[in-house]
Amino acid sequence: MQLEIQNVSKRYNKNTYGLKDFSITIEKGILGLLGPNGAGKSTLLKMIATVSKPTDGVILLNKNNIVKDPNYIRKQLGFLPQDFGVYPNLNAFEFLEYIAAMKGVGGSNLKTRIAQLLEGLNLIAAAKKPIGSYSGGMKQRVGIAQALLNHPKVIIFDEPTVGLDPEERVRFRNLISDLANDCIVILSSHIVSDIDAIADEVAIMKNGSLIVKATQEDIIEKVEGKVFEVIIEKEELSQFKSSHVIISTKREKGKLQVRYISDHPIENSELKEANLEDAYLNLTKNN
Amino acid sequence: MKSFLNIIKLDYLQRTRSYAFLITLCISLAVAYTFVPEPNASYSTIRISNYIGVYNSAWIGYVTAIMTSVFLSLVGFYLVNGSVKTDLQTKVGQIIASTPIRNFSYLFSKILSNFLVLLTIVLIIFLMSVLLFFLYNEGFSFEIIQFIKPYFFITIPALFFIATLAVIFEVFFGKYSVIQNVGFFFLFSILMFLPSTTEKQFELDIFGSEIVTSQMENRVKEILQTNELPVLNIGYVIGNVEKVKRFNFEGIEFPTSFLISRMGWMLLGIVLIVIISPYFHRFNVKERKSIKKSTQNISFSKTNNEIVLSALPTVNSNYGIFLLIKTEVLLLFRMGKSWLWIINLIGMVLLAALPLKISFQIVLPVLWFLQVNRLSELTTKEVVHNVHYLAFASYKPIGRLLTSQLIAGVILMLFLALPLLMRLLFVTDFTAVLSLVFGGVFIVLFAAALGIVTKGKKLFEVLFFMMTYAVLNGVSFFDYFGCLTEHPYYIFRLLASVLVLGILSFLVRKVDLKRM
Repeated sequence: MQLEIQNVSKRYNKNTYGLKDFSITIEKGILGLLGPNGAGKSTLLKMIATVSKPTDGVILLNKNNIVKDPNYIRKQLGFLPQDFGVYPNLNAFEFLEYIAAMKGVGGSNLKTRIAQLLEGLNLIAAAKKPIGSYSGGMKQRVGIAQALLNHPKVIIFDEPTVGLDPEERVRFRNLISDLANDCIVILSSHIVSDIDAIADEVAIMKNGSLIVKATQEDIIEKVEGKVFEVIIEKEELSQFKSSHVIISTKREKGKLQVRYISDHPIENSELKEANLEDAYLNLTKNN
Repeated sequence: MKSFLNIIKLDYLQRTRSYAFLITLCISLAVAYTFVPEPNASYSTIRISNYIGVYNSAWIGYVTAIMTSVFLSLVGFYLVNGSVKTDLQTKVGQIIASTPIRNFSYLFSKILSNFLVLLTIVLIIFLMSVLLFFLYNEGFSFEIIQFIKPYFFITIPALFFIATLAVIFEVFFGKYSVIQNVGFFFLFSILMFLPSTTEKQFELDIFGSEIVTSQMENRVKEILQTNELPVLNIGYVIGNVEKVKRFNFEGIEFPTSFLISRMGWMLLGIVLIVIISPYFHRFNVKERKSIKKSTQNISFSKTNNEIVLSALPTVNSNYGIFLLIKTEVLLLFRMGKSWLWIINLIGMVLLAALPLKISFQIVLPVLWFLQVNRLSELTTKEVVHNVHYLAFASYKPIGRLLTSQLIAGVILMLFLALPLLMRLLFVTDFTAVLSLVFGGVFIVLFAAALGIVTKGKKLFEVLFFMMTYAVLNGVSFFDYFGCLTEHPYYIFRLLASVLVLGILSFLVRKVDLKRM
């Protein structure tokens, strides 16, 4: 199973690109897609999901060009868009049956599968209520359920944890870890903690281009030995910002504890173990 | 004041920067062209007995102004109605509600932006009327004042009041689109047919047309030298034009009381807004709804069952569309308030009980028109409910999903017409049965095609309303289900329309999906 994105661009007008000459190859496992708002993550995912067509380039799934033959991937796709809606007059069960019909799946086991998905996503008690009465988190879980209705071989989750409470986030992470064995899972987020716990590989995007694609360890290695923490006065912060990449700040006894990246740490700085967030911020700020 | 004007300006820009509005303007141009028939045309728009005016500035100016006042009042309501609802649906309303803007200011800004939208259309029609004068050049001098005067004193006040009515209906019936549509339909019919013969009654004529038509009638009465008032026809009267004679119409001097009454109508609109402002929901609709819903006990206990995907039962491929049709039918039937189905059921009973002619020519078009919101959402609901990313990434979204939407629409229309269909079958009127079935298919495809082409609901809603109004008034040109025409050729014409609309729907959707 291999998804190849080759020199794909999405041009909105003469000089505006959502994605520019983007290439990446994705194999089985979980790929975490990170990037700031406007990086082109959703544009890329919509093109893979065949909702949007690239202006240039090809997307191949197992050597089949899905730009020309979108139904090839649609039969094996589970897609949770970032911003999706529901028909408020249908209940969750009916809505999922409807999506199943759209995906072209059915059979005697469909109702059982829907029931088990709803149960696993804590929606079974509300399954017969109109979705219009659901909270944002409940709708998001209906979205997750619809992505898993068929036996998807390519699963795309665009900002899946929006609206989920911490407990549901953990359950979601466990759920998609289970998917990684025989599927391509692409998980987009701008929240690093959503990605670092589960992604086999991480791709970081900015301004419609790919900055890096590697394992978490390889990405973190790029900032290893460069992450420091230091206590400074509040008044010194703006000057400090201009000369260092700041990861985070924390108030501590009237002063500020600053975590930053630098090749030349200032005096009294303490070397810290680097993590994915450090590497991500360093890459997006320096590229 | 500047910020208030900015609100109006930006609201106006938001509403006019759309493909649907561009199409509306194009259609307005085309309709305006028909307001003054070309000399050899087989129809007339304003005719007094067998007389029409010579095509001088006054005739063209007054006729187009009256036609605009009447027809744009009729369809304009549907064009501009929904501006508050848009703020509600886009959730911009929640931001507006948290600002210091007063209810009156907000509602008044909506009236003015409604009014500007209608004025834009009036401007297009006005320019076309001037163009028509030169196109049909009959040797009369061009007098711009004969164009400006009727538009200024007849059309503009009427449209301002319609812009106000649209906001008033939204404040009171915001959630009930059907009540708004049908309510205005009846209100318009009442206003249209209130007779005005005296000067005092002219002041009560919201459309401002009767003061002009009455003078036209008097002029023809003088020519005919009769005491009987000649028959006045406003609207598209087809046929009989070969007998038409011409008379000279030089425009009218509007009495001061009439001019004051025009200002009075506009002022009445503003006063009504002042009165209803305190009752405006200020976008608190959803909260009210959720309070009601919370009593239904949506909350539930959490389970600790984790999903083990590999343990879930296997599902098979099923590319049939039965389940899609079932759900599409379900969506159509559940749309809107359930109690509104009582009206549909009453309509079905009337179809079964009233004389066949009345059932066919009056009850059925009204009953079908009541489904206007259902039909207009048939192919636009994916985008309206933001389900398009799921729907358009599904397996064969055109061949399967669009087909099932069309079939569901036809099922709804034929289900509603079932009592009449049974009666027509019983009397073995197979031509009528065929016409009715094709009519149902036609209107569904018409809704689908316009929804797909314009990406919105408005144009279909407006045109469906016009067609229903025309059918109820016996205009056979708009008879889309054979209630006024029995000629077999008609069925072929209907069938051809169905095919064209079907092909158009599928092709445009295909192009849209390719372009996404």
